Amino acid sequence: MQPTSATRRAVAAAGLAAAVALSLVACASGDQGGSSSAPSGSSTAAPVSDGASQVKITMTGGDADRCELSSTSAKAGPVTFTVENVSSTAITEVELLQGQRIVGEKENLAPGLGAAKLTLTLTGGTYQVYCPGAKTETQDFTVTGKAATQAAGSVQTVLAEGTKGYGTYVAGVLADMVTAVGNLKSAVDSGDVADAKAKYALARPFYEKVESDVDGFLLPGYKATDNKGNLDYLIDMRASNLDPAVGWHGFHAIERDLWQGGKITSSTKQLAAELDTNVQKLAQLAKGLSYRPEDLANGAAGLLEEVQSGKISGEEEAYSHTDLIDFAANVEGAQQAFAYLEPGLKKIDPDLTKQISARFTDITTLLDGYRDPDIPGGYVYYTPALKKTDASKLSHAVQALQEPLSTIAEKVATAA
Amino acid sequence: MAEEERHDRLSRRGLIIGSAAAAGGLVVGAAGGAGAAVSIHAARESTGGAGGDGDEEVVDLTTQHAFYGSAEQAGIRTPPQRYCVYMTFDLSSTLAGDLQVLLARWSGAIAQLMKGKSIGQVEPARADGVALDTGEALDLGPAGLTVTVGLGPKVFGDEFGLAERKPALMRELKALPSDALDPALTGGDLSLQACAEDPQVAYHAIRDLARMAKGTAATRWTVMGFGRASAGKGQTTPRNLMGYKDGTRNIRDDDEYRKFVWVDDDGPAWTQGGTYQVVRKIQMNIENWDADRVSDQNRVIGRDKSEGAPLSGTKEFDTPDFTATASDGSPKIAPTAHIALAAHENNGGLKILRRSYNYTDGLNQYGLLDAGLLFLSYQNDPAHFETLQARLGASDLLNEYISHIGSAIFFVPPAPREGHYLAEGLFA
Repeated sequence: MQPTSATRRAVAAAGLAAAVALSLVACASGDQGGSSSAPSGSSTAAPVSDGASQVKITMTGGDADRCELSSTSAKAGPVTFTVENVSSTAITEVELLQGQRIVGEKENLAPGLGAAKLTLTLTGGTYQVYCPGAKTETQDFTVTGKAATQAAGSVQTVLAEGTKGYGTYVAGVLADMVTAVGNLKSAVDSGDVADAKAKYALARPFYEKVESDVDGFLLPGYKATDNKGNLDYLIDMRASNLDPAVGWHGFHAIERDLWQGGKITSSTKQLAAELDTNVQKLAQLAKGLSYRPEDLANGAAGLLEEVQSGKISGEEEAYSHTDLIDFAANVEGAQQAFAYLEPGLKKIDPDLTKQISARFTDITTLLDGYRDPDIPGGYVYYTPALKKTDASKLSHAVQALQEPLSTIAEKVATAA
Repeated sequence: MAEEERHDRLSRRGLIIGSAAAAGGLVVGAAGGAGAAVSIHAARESTGGAGGDGDEEVVDLTTQHAFYGSAEQAGIRTPPQRYCVYMTFDLSSTLAGDLQVLLARWSGAIAQLMKGKSIGQVEPARADGVALDTGEALDLGPAGLTVTVGLGPKVFGDEFGLAERKPALMRELKALPSDALDPALTGGDLSLQACAEDPQVAYHAIRDLARMAKGTAATRWTVMGFGRASAGKGQTTPRNLMGYKDGTRNIRDDDEYRKFVWVDDDGPAWTQGGTYQVVRKIQMNIENWDADRVSDQNRVIGRDKSEGAPLSGTKEFDTPDFTATASDGSPKIAPTAHIALAAHENNGGLKILRRSYNYTDGLNQYGLLDAGLLFLSYQNDPAHFETLQARLGASDLLNEYISHIGSAIFFVPPAPREGHYLAEGLFA
C-alpha cells in the first residue's frame, strides 16, 4: 500500500442499500434444510421455517459445473442459505453480492464435505448469487419487502466506524513515535552509547506498527523518484537498498553507528537530529488521513509481508539484532487493523474471521516465548543462531495468517 | 467456450499424431515436433505391449489421467511421466476437522489440475481480490499430470483421534544399515507426488496445493525429479544418473500388482486398495563413480552399461543367472552386486514397485555435483522394503557410491469416487 499524498478517499459509507444486520453460520454436515431442490430459476419464494427463508444452493460437476438455487427469491428478513458442493471441483466458494459488494460468503467448499449454512438478514432488493467457476457464474436473487429494523448497525456502518477507530489508533502511534524519537535524539546528544541503544530499541516499534499506512509520503516539492524527498527512505532505509545519490539516513544509519561503530560521533548526532525532524514532518503530513476498510485490510497484509521479507531474514536490524521488536510491532499493527474490521467482517464471513483471529493468537503466543523484560524493547536478540533454529517456525506461523488475511480486502471493500 | 477448448485440444492432438506419423511411427527426434508435440522420448498411455520393446514414445501434452475412480490413485501404476516434484508436509493443526477439509480441498483441486484446469480464478474480477490459482500453468494443458497424496504415521497417532482407523501395517520405518538420514530430509505427515510431462505443470500443482495447506500443514522437504528412472508397462527402461538402466525387472503385471502393491488385508475398509509409499533421497557420489573403470561399474551393478544385460546374459530382459560362473570359476554376477541383492530370486520372491526419478540439487559446498535418485516405491507391506534395503544397505557394492540421506513412509489411500474425497472413510 503506497499512498502518494496525504489525501485518501473518504469512506464511502452512505447509500448502502442492503442492510445486512445479522449473520449466523453453522456448519451442519449432512443437513439438507428446506425443501428438495427445485430447478434453478424457479421464481417461487423460498419456504420459511425456523423463522428464516430456506434456500438451498447445490453445486454439481460433470460436463459443466453448476450452482443450482432452490428458489430465486425470498421475503425480506432472515434468509438461510444451505450450501452443498455435491460434485463440482471447479467451484470452491459462493458469494451473495449486491452490485460489487459482498453481502455474505461461504468458502472452502469441496465435494463430499456436506452442507454448510449461512444466514443473512436481507432487506428488499436485487442480489446476485455468485459462484466463481460455474458455467453460469451469476444468478439473480430477489428479496421482496422490507426487513424489520435491526438493532445493530449495517455492515457498512460498522466497518466505517472501524476505520475511524483505526485512524485514531494510527494518530496515537505517530504521536508516540515523535516522543520516542525525541528521547533517542536526547540520548545520542548526551553521548551515552548504552542509553542511546536502549532508546533506539524503544523508538523502533512505532513506525513498524503503521508503516504500511505512512510509507508513501513525500516532502513537498520532491518527485516520487527522488529519494531525497521520500520520508520512508529518510526514516527507515536499510543497508541493502541504499541510493548512493542520497546516502544513508534514519534509524538504521544510527543503528550502524551505535552497534557496529560502538560510538557516537558528530555525524551520529546529525543523523538523530535529522530523524527527529523527519518523523515530526511525517506525523504532520499524516494528520487527517482517513481510511477505507480495504485500506486496513491491505495495510495489515502489507505489514505481514514486511515480517516475512525483512524480519524473519534478520535483515531489518542487521547490527542490533532487535528484529523481534519490529516483528512484534508489525504483527500488532496488522492485528489492530484487523480488529477494527472484525465486527463488520464477522457479518460477512464469520468462519474466516474466526480463523484469522485464531492465527493472530497463534503468532502472538509464539512471540510471547521470545519475551525478555531485561532487554530494551522486551524481546530476545534475533541472533544468527536463533534465526537458524527458529526462522522456519516463525515463517510458517506468519504464512498461515498471510493467506486468509490476504482475502479480506475484497470482502470489506466499500467501492461505490 | 467449452466448445472452443475442445477444438483446441483436438487440433493439438492431431498435430502430435501427425508428427509421430511423419517420423515413421518411431521415436520422434527433438526437432521433429512443434508446439505441444516437441518430444524426445517419453510415455504415452500404455497400450499393453511387453515392456522395453523400444516402441514409439511420444510426449503428448494433452494426455489426461483420471483422478476419481474405484481403484488406486493415479501416479502409481500410471506409466512414469518425465518429471516429478515431491514434497512432504508437517501438520501444524491438531484438529482432525482441519485435515479433513484439507484433504477434501486437495481432492477437488487435484481433479481440476489433472484436467489441465486452474483451481480457481487467476485474475479475480475485483481489484482487491487475491488470485486462487497462481497462474503459471495456464494454457499448458494437463501434460499427463498425476498428483498422489500420502498420509504419514502421525495422522494415525493419538493427536487426531483417528488411531482406530489406522491402516493395518502403518508405522515408522525401522533404522536400516547404511542409513545416513538427515532429519531435515526425513519424515512428514503428508506427501504429494506430482508427476507430469511438463515440469512447470508439476511444480504449479505442488505450489498451489502447498498454498492451500497453509495453516493446516507446513512444508517440510522437497525433491525435484527431472527425469524418470523407472519403467512402467509399455515403456523402454530409462537410466539413472549412474548411466545404467533402472527398473528392468519392475512390477508390470496385474497379478504382481495384486500380490505386492495393493492393500488387501484385515485392516479398515477405507484402506483396502491403497498402498504404502516409501521415499528415499539417495545421494550419489557421481564424480567418484564417473572415475571408476567400466568393468568395475558393471561388477557393482551386475549388468553391462549399454544394453543393460545381466552379466550372465546378453540382452536386457535375459533372466539373470546368479549361479553362472566365468571360466576362472568366479560368479559372473557378484553375490554383492546390486541386482543380486535386490533380485526376487534371492529374497523369497519379494518384489516392490519402483517409481523413481533422477534429481539434482545443483552443486554442493565443495563444488561437486549434488545429485542422485529420488527413490519411490509402493508396496502393500512396509516390511517388504525393509527386507530388501536391509540386505542392500549391509553389503551392496554400490554403497561406496551412494548414501540414503532422506526417508519417509506414507499410506496412500485409494482414489475417491466422484463426489467424494481422499481418505473420506478415515473421518466417517
